Amino acid sequence: MTSRLLAPLNWVGGRVLRGVSSLGRWGHLLTDTIRALRHVDVWLRLVLAQMARIGVDSVPIALFIATFTGIVLALQASYTFTGAVPLYFVGVLVGKTMILELGPVLTGLALAGRVGANIAAELGTMRVTEQIDALETLAYPPVAYLIVPRVLAGVVMFPVVTILAVALGIAAGWVTALQLLDMSTPEFVRGLMLFFLPFDVWFAVIKAASFGLVVCMVGCFYGFHTTGGAEGVGLSTTRAVVVSSMLILVLDAFWAVTLL
Amino acid sequence: MKRRNETLVGLVLLAGLATAIFGTMWLQGWEWGRDVVPVEAVFRDVGAAGAGNAVKVRGVRIGRISDVSVLPGGELVQMVMRVDADVPLPDDAAVVLAPESMFGDWQAEIVSQADFPHFNFAAPPGSDVLPGYALPDISRLTATADRISENLADLTDRIGIAFTEETARNLALTIENIQEVSNQLSELIEQQAATFGEVAAGVDEATGEIGRAAASTRSVFDRLDGVLAAGEVEALLTDLRQVSAGFEGLAQEASVTSRELGGMASRADSTFARLDHILEVAQGGEGVLGRLLGDPALVDEVEGTLVQLQLLLEDVRENPRRYLRLSIF
Amino acid sequence: MSIVIKDLHKSFGEKQILQGFALDVQDGETLAILGHSGSGKSVTLKHIVGLLEPDQGEVWVDGQAVTELKTEELYELRRRVGYVFQMAALFDSMSVAENVGLGLRRISGMTEDAIQSRVAECLDLVDLSGFQDRRPSELSGGQRKRVGLARAIATKPGYVLYDEPTTGLDPVTKAVIDGLITKMQKELGVTGVVVTHDMQSAYRVSDRIAMLYEGKTRFLGTPKEIQATRDPVVRAFIEGRPELLQEEATGAKEES
Ligand SMILES: Nc1ncnc2c1ncn2[C@@H]1O[C@H](COP(=O)(O)OP(=O)(O)OP(=O)(O)O)[C@@H](O)[C@H]1O
Ligand SMILES: [Mg+2]
Repeated sequence: MTSRLLAPLNWVGGRVLRGVSSLGRWGHLLTDTIRALRHVDVWLRLVLAQMARIGVDSVPIALFIATFTGIVLALQASYTFTGAVPLYFVGVLVGKTMILELGPVLTGLALAGRVGANIAAELGTMRVTEQIDALETLAYPPVAYLIVPRVLAGVVMFPVVTILAVALGIAAGWVTALQLLDMSTPEFVRGLMLFFLPFDVWFAVIKAASFGLVVCMVGCFYGFHTTGGAEGVGLSTTRAVVVSSMLILVLDAFWAVTLL
Repeated sequence: MKRRNETLVGLVLLAGLATAIFGTMWLQGWEWGRDVVPVEAVFRDVGAAGAGNAVKVRGVRIGRISDVSVLPGGELVQMVMRVDADVPLPDDAAVVLAPESMFGDWQAEIVSQADFPHFNFAAPPGSDVLPGYALPDISRLTATADRISENLADLTDRIGIAFTEETARNLALTIENIQEVSNQLSELIEQQAATFGEVAAGVDEATGEIGRAAASTRSVFDRLDGVLAAGEVEALLTDLRQVSAGFEGLAQEASVTSRELGGMASRADSTFARLDHILEVAQGGEGVLGRLLGDPALVDEVEGTLVQLQLLLEDVRENPRRYLRLSIF
Repeated sequence: MSIVIKDLHKSFGEKQILQGFALDVQDGETLAILGHSGSGKSVTLKHIVGLLEPDQGEVWVDGQAVTELKTEELYELRRRVGYVFQMAALFDSMSVAENVGLGLRRISGMTEDAIQSRVAECLDLVDLSGFQDRRPSELSGGQRKRVGLARAIATKPGYVLYDEPTTGLDPVTKAVIDGLITKMQKELGVTGVVVTHDMQSAYRVSDRIAMLYEGKTRFLGTPKEIQATRDPVVRAFIEGRPELLQEEATGAKEES
């Protein structure tokens, strides 16, 4: 009887405790990661390989997404502006939205799936097969060996991939404007340049870098704290993708509020 | 494997960096391979013009604004433009800022100062800096008109102190300016009537009113000398009041008959209401026009605001679309 | 210097695994730990290198209290301890040579040539010459285990912890590995802890044998002594006769 009455309390208490302890583990991992930065000898050689895996290998998917986004943006802009607004505003819309919003966020979300899942699954597998323990016994701090290079590579490569994606997205919008909307290049370019500010590029870079940090950090976190074999690895991977996708959108809003 | 990684990462990094840098430069309107010279100009005010906006000569884009900053002292704004070196500029070059389209983007046009004698260009501090002037936009029209009436009211207050021949002449001059403005208003409205046939009837009537008002103003001036000689200030003021009433009626009518000219009319309305106020004050006042003598700056200011109103009207007449289309949005 | 474990307690959630386990491994000695599957042998080894933190008790290695060490000091200590994982725990993103050489790269001043020759030497010792460029996924379970052994001894550690080094190997390879463990002890003075289920191996390599039972040390003695013991739990284990455990249980009941 009493146990049934107490059940909701237990449930709430358990939730809160787990929430707090996972926050604690987050804080722990973050400080560990920052502290592990001093093991330059350990992570330096590994960053390059991670840059290749996280950045270079993600270029095709990011470009693919950006191309179609650019095309759709141009078409939808012209559809929306019919009559009331001059057509060169297609250039304004494609340029501004690609640089400020869609380029960084769509790339971030795509890479959350690709990179975040990859990291979580890899580190999760290493955890459950004791490879992370093995690293420790070989005197490699696992945070410096596994997390730091991934996070650094993410912070550096996400902006690079995003910039390439933005450029291709704008180019796709441009070609669409020329081919399907009967616009001329000077018209489109005029729109593109009209309200452009160099700060826009910085904004995109800052956003993308923060997305890289979040995606890689979250992937590492869930991978690192995986328990329970293949099933656990699957769970970590799913969580990493879901949580990093949500954090990307939250961060997106955060930057819009603080920087714009 | 490792070699391949290094090359690929290097390639992608460089591609990203190059895209970011060259893309930014290009979108900012960087001029590659073109011979570009900086041109400086000063303004009292630059409206909504800013870095990146187009610089034109005779409607052709020849460069862009690269920097805008307030000069020490806070009186003047300095603008740096980067323009093609091989485009010849007029000897008496000056810069006029105006909206390029109605979507908030402005442009700087390099013109010959002689073509725009009425524009109140800012005086440049050095010989290699161009004088500049920013066209007021619609919202500033109203503000200007308001300022004029404030000044007139101020003026009338001071008229009470002393009324000599000298000050009377100043007043006459000022009133002449008012008349000029009203003439221009009527001209403008005539033009508007031609452009917008559907409101022609109402506007015609308004124009007629303006004509009559102007005529009666004229009569004030015709009689001014005599009035002064005879000391018939009272009569002068009565006449002025008639003028004012005429203006007021016109304003009301104009606002009723032509909605498209609504902004214009309400402006006129406020101006004329002020004029009425002047007359009231003048009539009740003792020793009119006196303070005017003691404060030539005020006269200057009245003159200045009148010139501005004139310029504005000129611009409205030349580019009616610019103002009328704005009201659509 | 040696390995000393005092009153070690460890539980995972509700499950009490170690409940006062104690052990001391003399310098230069090889000690075997026996115990049923799931009795906590691997858990014990992990405490020795600080991979797990005890709930209670002390672990001393080389004169240092493992639980008290700062991170840096712990890594310093780990350089002197080799660990052979039960499931090998090879890095599957690396080749065999990279796996074996990883510990060596942590030693400053070692040239690439020196690393490669040491890797070849260690692979030779575990009878896997020429496997350098294989991937762990291309190896059999026994081969993986041997690569794990080669990786553990590559840095010539003073202590080596072997978690079931011979399980799953054929009798000949088993003998080779046992020979290697003995050789490590005799020629390099390595202090070793060998977790094993295989009595033959235990007798062959160890100076003393400990038995972990229900979280405590049930037996500690030389191979001769364990063969002579009358403790039914130990005898059940070494002779593979579970019915003896039954006796123990009923005997315990009668006593109480
Ligand atoms: N990280 C862990 N989390 C939860 N339980 C664990 C963990 N590690 C070990 N255990 C539990 O501790 C107990 C002892 O595990 P351990 O691996 O030490 O067994 P063992 O004696 O090595 O057995 P085997 O001979 O089968 O390898 C097991 O019941 C296991 O389920
Ligand atoms: Mg085990």
